[in-house]
Amino acid sequence: MLRLILRRFISLPFVILSVTFLTFIVSYLAPGDPILALMGNQRDPEIYARLRTLYGLDLPWYQQYGEYLGGLLQGDLGLSFRFAQRPVIELIQGGLPVSFGLGLTALSLSVLIGIPLGLVAALYHNTPAERLIMALILALYAIPSFVLIPILQWINYQVYLATGWSLPAAGWGRPEHWVMPVVVLSAASLGYIARVTRSSVREVLEQDFIRTARAKGLPERRVRWTHMFRNAALPILTVIGPAIAFLVTGAFVVESLFSIPGIGFLSVQAIQQRDYPVIQGTTVILALSVVLMNLVTDLLYSVVDPRVRLEG
Amino acid sequence: MSRTPPNTGIVRLHTPSDIAPAAPIGLFRRLLRSRLSVISLLVFALIVLLAAFGPVVYTQSATRPDYAAINAIPSAEHILGTDNLGRDTLARLLSGLRVSLIVALYVETLNILLGATLGLLAGYYGGILDVLVTRVADILFAFPGLLLAILVTAIFGSSVTEQFGGIGRLMLVAGSLSLVSWPLMARLVRSQVLVLREQEFVTAARSLGATHQRMILRHIIPNVGGIIIVASTLDVASVVVNEAVLSLLGLGIQPPDPSIGKMITDAIPYLETNAWQVFFPSAALMLIVLTVSFLGDGLREASDPQAR
Repeated sequence: MLRLILRRFISLPFVILSVTFLTFIVSYLAPGDPILALMGNQRDPEIYARLRTLYGLDLPWYQQYGEYLGGLLQGDLGLSFRFAQRPVIELIQGGLPVSFGLGLTALSLSVLIGIPLGLVAALYHNTPAERLIMALILALYAIPSFVLIPILQWINYQVYLATGWSLPAAGWGRPEHWVMPVVVLSAASLGYIARVTRSSVREVLEQDFIRTARAKGLPERRVRWTHMFRNAALPILTVIGPAIAFLVTGAFVVESLFSIPGIGFLSVQAIQQRDYPVIQGTTVILALSVVLMNLVTDLLYSVVDPRVRLEG
Repeated sequence: MSRTPPNTGIVRLHTPSDIAPAAPIGLFRRLLRSRLSVISLLVFALIVLLAAFGPVVYTQSATRPDYAAINAIPSAEHILGTDNLGRDTLARLLSGLRVSLIVALYVETLNILLGATLGLLAGYYGGILDVLVTRVADILFAFPGLLLAILVTAIFGSSVTEQFGGIGRLMLVAGSLSLVSWPLMARLVRSQVLVLREQEFVTAARSLGATHQRMILRHIIPNVGGIIIVASTLDVASVVVNEAVLSLLGLGIQPPDPSIGKMITDAIPYLETNAWQVFFPSAALMLIVLTVSFLGDGLREASDPQAR
């Protein structure tokens, strides 16, 4: 167990290094001169030189990467090109709580609804309940977030026409602003979690030890909770990684379509304004947080499943 | 640490007993036994035909505005109506579909040329090549979802468009999307080849003195061909959605050229006056996703020896 944790932690710096290097090199290879773009119509060579030094662009690439890594360790991600040369980390710190809050709420919601749905579908195999849930899962799979948003807004509008009351279509700040983004964000991972739960439970139900448990006369409740669910729970844990990946891509779409001041919206604005340091910073922060969360999931997985411990 | 990925229902990962020595012709014939697959195949073929020949037959311009018909509902003149600038929705939809399908074709070609080939060679030869391919795939996996594709298209997008125009942009979008999907393909094929390598018939062939070339061409490829076809078919669904996401973030196909993702999001503000403009592109997109997934599932069942 300890060896496994150690091994995971030893490979962590390697992953972090490669992620930061890849992000750095893509931005480094960015075509065009960002300083010229920054200066607009001004062509003063002295200012140009000063700005180049300020952004560290006069150094060779390996030194730039070294500085970048050093800065990263101290929580410094460089300066934004656009936002009056504000530090990137400041901009990210503004958006991070919003995105994390939204993502975490959506993830908990999709786990709390998705797992029971999958369970019901598996236990009531070949019944209308299963068919209904499978249809829902299929619909959630086929409806991407940017299609679900207009559907919800259309329903919202119809409700408004009928009752004179509606949820805000976009914006941020009040509790009711959370409703639609959270629903949209959780929809995609909810379907995925339900699907994995269902197939994982069905697979366990076909195992011999379930038949044995039933044959020796255990009450069905005990078979389900002690024998079935505990074994089915292991593969279900692995969905959290992909579910978080859904959330990250979802955050870009949902935050920019609902004008929510999170990291996704910040990145999309930075993309439109070609603010490379901000794009680079948000990418690194998002990738690193997912690397860390995957590490936690992996460790959790080996805690729950003794077989993984043996193989590790 | 080795662990079995969960059975997700849509992309099922194959256990050793699933390996199908399926010749493509037999695979196709068995696919036609399932009614859902046949319907999906027909609908998908229709979409492909519409995308390929639609703009030739339906000659309304996809970019020229008709100021007399802004946000028009479907009519005889504009069969699916017009958008907020008075551009014909059917014409835009047809060329948008064309873009989606061309990107999907490029990505799957790259997926097979790069992902499947590297996975196969890494699994077959092992050694330093295997370590290299697995490591690179691991690094690409560390970027969640579309993040890397977003980064690459955001940084190189405008200069590629300046130098190579719309086609260059299309290739960039396809290339960056394949960064997201080729590691998956490589991992899938590699694990399959690792299982195959331990099978008796491979040992038998080797002891009969088969060369590496013969082993790969006659024994390995026929046995992984099925899962490569299944995986790339299923991947088309996510590529089409991902292309739409890149375009709506402003990273994909540039306006005024139409793309399904941008059509949907551009029409959202006019939902209350003309919901058709959201409905048609959304329906087309969902139809592609559904038919492709049903086809992929059908192909998987057709290549599964236990289901025969």
